[in-house]
Amino acid sequence: MKVVTGVVGNDIHVVANRLIDLSLRARGFEVFNLGVNTYLEEFFDAVVETGADVLLISSLNGEAEGWSREVKPLKAKYKNLDNLIMMIGGNLVVGSGDAEQIVPKYKNYGFDLVCHQIDLNTGLDWLEELIEKRNLK
Amino acid sequence: MNKSTSQGNDKLLIDVGSTYFKVSTADSIEQHFRDFNKDILDDLVHRCGDTIDRFDKDDVHICSSANGGLSTLIIGVTNSFSLKYATNIAFNSGINIIDTILYQNIEEYSIPSDLVDVVIIVGGIDSCAGIFNESLYNYLSQLNYSNVVFVGSEQDAPVLKQNIENIAILPNIIDNKLHIVEEHLKEYLTNLYQQDIEGKEDIKNLYDITANQIYSTPYIVNKTLPHIDARYSVVDPFILLDIGGATTDIHYSKDLVDDNLVTENEYDRMVFKKLGVYKSKQSLIFAAQNNEFVYELLMHLKVTENIFNEQSEKATRILMQLAIFLVLCKISHYRKAYINLKLLAINSIVLTGGITKVLTTEEIEDIVSFFYKKILTSDHKPVVVLDTNYDIWTLGAKG
Ligand code: B12
Repeated sequence: MKVVTGVVGNDIHVVANRLIDLSLRARGFEVFNLGVNTYLEEFFDAVVETGADVLLISSLNGEAEGWSREVKPLKAKYKNLDNLIMMIGGNLVVGSGDAEQIVPKYKNYGFDLVCHQIDLNTGLDWLEELIEKRNLK
Repeated sequence: MNKSTSQGNDKLLIDVGSTYFKVSTADSIEQHFRDFNKDILDDLVHRCGDTIDRFDKDDVHICSSANGGLSTLIIGVTNSFSLKYATNIAFNSGINIIDTILYQNIEEYSIPSDLVDVVIIVGGIDSCAGIFNESLYNYLSQLNYSNVVFVGSEQDAPVLKQNIENIAILPNIIDNKLHIVEEHLKEYLTNLYQQDIEGKEDIKNLYDITANQIYSTPYIVNKTLPHIDARYSVVDPFILLDIGGATTDIHYSKDLVDDNLVTENEYDRMVFKKLGVYKSKQSLIFAAQNNEFVYELLMHLKVTENIFNEQSEKATRILMQLAIFLVLCKISHYRKAYINLKLLAINSIVLTGGITKVLTTEEIEDIVSFFYKKILTSDHKPVVVLDTNYDIWTLGAKG
């Protein structure tokens, strides 16, 4: 299963990105890591070029929300991304925030899995469960 | 005449452009407007026959940008990867791009009426399959083209081969890490350029006076840039503008782009077709009239719009100044283009081509600082360097 990942926008926090890359590989995913400083269009374009099933975006520095608002309009311009699993995690608001408000908001932005300050392994467990549920494996 | 004068590193270098040609020897450089009633070789011999006679065929090196080179249409599946990579390779091979088509919307594009020399189809890494279908074949069946090449996913290659007649299949230009792989497509395109020259009577005749391969001029210039400091104190990063009669070429240091495009070249090239001061004069004027700052610029240059209708040396100077301004606009963030350069980081702007014979350094500096003030609201002043003696091209043509 193919996953495109990276850190969105002008964010340069790289440590989590490296860990995500390693953890995904350890779980048997084929990883296309666009690294830090990646713009939304590049994420979707990478999905098209690789035929990926999952897009896993991280955001650490507080930019997440601005970009997430752009997700739906941009994704709508692509014709073949309907079955893509969309996941986002890291620090999704400025400060700590309340997950009960944050999660529905991000689902509304178009994400299937929202991991605000969630431990990486927990998040990846959720991903595998969702894949199983959708019978992709 | 005895040819013994042509010895050692004494070479005759000839550059045939769309508007004029240049002939350079170790001790002189001549430039002549082309006479379009004459065949290129006749024209050359008529003007510089004596010089040409002095050289052995082995010592004559010719490059050409006449006819605007080869044209390509690129069909790719994304802007950030397939289209961007193919565009980059085409530009660096000296090819002009007529249009790029985002495959998913191919049905919405109109079909160019001109003959396309080569269609490039690209998309998907090798493990991605089933990208192209009927809509591609439909489009191609309406298009008038001479060559077609596929440089996308190896899994899709057999299907395309079955459905598209005479399609050339090359290794993917996108590797499994989504990085660019240039060499195969670049080689294919430069070879195609050779074949094209060999097919064009006019240029083919030039092989009567040279035993060496004729290359495309931008290809030669691009090759030279890493050695430019041998002639000028140019400080990296820089851009080089070659404002010609039909098109304008820009070569730029890779440091000027923030990008996912990681190539081995230190310098990349892009081209603005129909932005030239002779053959494409009308479209240059059109571009100028659609730029909201041009009237201020004309005022700054103390002329009015009427200058566009004039045929004078002064009008040509103004057009050249406009061309510099428009090109800078096109590559800045003011206009979204294939690539935007970090113009505030530029240390030098090098100009080559006919413009160096017409404008002074001061006149160019004036335009450049007008651009930085108006468009980028900055006092940045890159050093302007004029390649008046065609040293860049000479350096490259010598190989
Ligand atoms: C190191 C660091 C930096 C370094 C980064 C160096 C580098 N190249 O990586 C530097 C100094 C450059 C930096 C700069 C900035 N930083 Co900083 N930085 C940190 C710091 C101290 C550690 C980050 C880190 O590497 N952690 C270790 C990794 C392993 O943990 P992690 O990033 O949290 O990732 C884990 C989880 O979040 C999760 N995860 C991440 N993504 C995803 C995705 C999914 C799907 C899932 C399931 C899980 C997941 O998995 C990881 C492992 O468990 C944090 C504070 C902190 N203690 O977390 C601030 C922090 C991230 N930075 C912060 C800020 C504000 C900035 C700056 C804006 C500061 C400034 N004003 O200039 C700049 C922004 C620069 C930019 N353009 O992005 C804030 C963000 C605040 C927010 N979002 O509300 C933090 C939280 C500090 C704070 N408490 O204010 N920073």
